[in-house]
Amino acid sequence: MEENKMAGEAAIAAPQRDAKREGIAFVIAIAGWLVPGLGHALLKMWGRAIACFLTVGVLVVLGAGMRGNLFTSSGNDAFDSLGFIADMGTGTFYLAARSLEKEGPDVSHADGDYGTRFLATAGVLNLLAALHAFEAARGRKA
Amino acid sequence: MNAGLGFKLSHLQSMLLFALVISVGFGFLSKRRPADRLKYIAWALFLFLLVGVGIGWAMYPFSR
Repeated sequence: MEENKMAGEAAIAAPQRDAKREGIAFVIAIAGWLVPGLGHALLKMWGRAIACFLTVGVLVVLGAGMRGNLFTSSGNDAFDSLGFIADMGTGTFYLAARSLEKEGPDVSHADGDYGTRFLATAGVLNLLAALHAFEAARGRKA
Repeated sequence: MNAGLGFKLSHLQSMLLFALVISVGFGFLSKRRPADRLKYIAWALFLFLLVGVGIGWAMYPFSR
């Protein structure tokens, strides 16, 4: 009788625990997106946190330094919109890239074209890292 | 007037930097043990460069 009661309580507590865990994982993913590496830092995965911060940071600094194109929300076509989504993947680093690119983009040279790819890749890499942190927080990745 | 950072990199330097940074990012995200990470980074970097140089050579006949 007592065992049945305890099993029932455990069955009720488990979904609540899962819902709480999902919520925390979601917050960690958002934190990881906003500041590269923060999601992993909250999970105490220090190596991954530092690696994410540095790799995304280096790509953003190089991309902005090479005067790559930072897309805005007012794009003319689907490629501009996709580029904006990729660039926004860097979270707050998007604003840092904007402030670093004082003279605006210049894609008339190969440098600028490469810079555009660096910036987009930084965003996609950060989104991948945020997704990894989300899965790790849910207990699905180590 | 502030001229910004203004990096000037050659095609090869750009490719090397890109491949290295992405390989490090992938290595740290996908592997847990330091030895595994190092192996993964070296292998990913090698494949990035191989594919990059390979595509460069494949395009050479059409470059002029």
